Amino acid sequence: MVGFRAAFLNETTKLMKKKKILAAAILSVLAVVVGQVAVTAIKHGFGLRVVGSTEFPLVVLSIFVYTILPLFATFVAIDMFNGEFSANTMKITLTRPVTRFGVYSAKVLTIALFIAANLFFVMGLSLLAGLMFNPSSASMLGMLRIVLSYSSSFLPVFVFALLVVWLCNLLRGGLAVFFLSILVFVGFTFLDIVLSHYSSFFITSMFDWYTLWISEKINAFKIMRQLLIMLGSGIMFFTAGYYLFDRKDI
Amino acid sequence: MEKAIKIAGLTKIYKNGRGISDLNLDVDQGDIFGFLGPNGAGKTTAMKMMAGLIKPDCGDVKIFGASVLDNYVVAMKDVGCIIETAESYPYLTANENLKLYARFYPGVDQNRIDECLEITGLIKYKNEKSEKFSLGMKQRLGVAAAILSKPKLLILDEPLNGLDVEGMLDMRALIKRLAQEDGTTFFISSHLIHDVELTCTRIGVVYGGKLVNVEYTKNILSDYASLENYFVSEVDRNGRV
Repeated sequence: MVGFRAAFLNETTKLMKKKKILAAAILSVLAVVVGQVAVTAIKHGFGLRVVGSTEFPLVVLSIFVYTILPLFATFVAIDMFNGEFSANTMKITLTRPVTRFGVYSAKVLTIALFIAANLFFVMGLSLLAGLMFNPSSASMLGMLRIVLSYSSSFLPVFVFALLVVWLCNLLRGGLAVFFLSILVFVGFTFLDIVLSHYSSFFITSMFDWYTLWISEKINAFKIMRQLLIMLGSGIMFFTAGYYLFDRKDI
Repeated sequence: MEKAIKIAGLTKIYKNGRGISDLNLDVDQGDIFGFLGPNGAGKTTAMKMMAGLIKPDCGDVKIFGASVLDNYVVAMKDVGCIIETAESYPYLTANENLKLYARFYPGVDQNRIDECLEITGLIKYKNEKSEKFSLGMKQRLGVAAAILSKPKLLILDEPLNGLDVEGMLDMRALIKRLAQEDGTTFFISSHLIHDVELTCTRIGVVYGGKLVNVEYTKNILSDYASLENYFVSEVDRNGRV
């Protein structure tokens, strides 16, 4: 447990020291600012009310969850695995008194923390922007819907990140993993349209999972089904990734 | 007394046919063991297996009685190592690097980090990022990281790489001091035969993936003019032209 704790703290420290985290924060702020400027411009230019204060964060989420968030989660995963293997720094951790499972779990947990932190950062920003520009339409229920939407968006993006982690351990080059991740993302999105009956098996189709949680009539059966599929996929990707990580010769 | 290292039937053969085969070796506590061999003889492969970085095809390594394969955490608890090259996170300072490593060892505090930086002559560069370090300074940081937890066993693969003359002398003195004062066991590979002769108490020669001889340095020097002569003779005897 000492080893896992140390590995997790070290992974978060390393992540915080890298420029990627700053880039993710800047892009997140930009996304919110550009979104709010667009909404305000339409409102004042055309006299149309696009969204209220508590709807704005949901509009931001619908874009953010398909773009910046999975992109940076992929960057972070590649950096943690392929980056460390190619820079020869993986052996620094692997020669310490900690199991490979401990190191692998610590890395995955740090990716989870990054996704959650990024989601809540954007939620806070967009909520603030929404309240500043449209304070009249704020409500408690609206706020609750936002928190629920952002919280539930964590799982599908995390499962996608686990898929990337598996690819990171399958392939040696970080660039190859990056392009393959994009191909998988685009492919799954395309298959989701073509083979809509099987969309539940394409993890990217569940990036809008949060809409099920905030719809007028909650479909508990569908939520449960998608939750189980995501958990199953996540466990499989985590295990397959660990299997490869454990067998790697450094 | 329990052996510091007990290697039994350790084998790892790569696809190109190189590697190490059926390595059997015991290293006593307090030994400064020199692992000599020509390029590609399998020294680093053996050391990587000892540190758990690669898995052997068969065989096992026990460090103070704990198997590296079955009980890695216990086996590595009292081990410090530099394998192949001394690496550090380039975007962190020397002090931050050591702070990261210290988290794995309860009891290692900032005082100990400063002490290690002092020993290795890096204290005045403690707040500089290691990306700006020269090869020798990176090697010194690697040594500081290896001795940080006051390990009972140090596995050092080419510890003198990149060090200047002063660094080499310091390193040699450090190894001797740790062995004498703390009873630290060393397992060292080096191409610098003269340094091995001056530092190591016991020598193992590996050639073509096999351990061909193990002998105490004093016995070698009573039969040969220098360790270099012994090494050349062993290598020749085992088929090298």
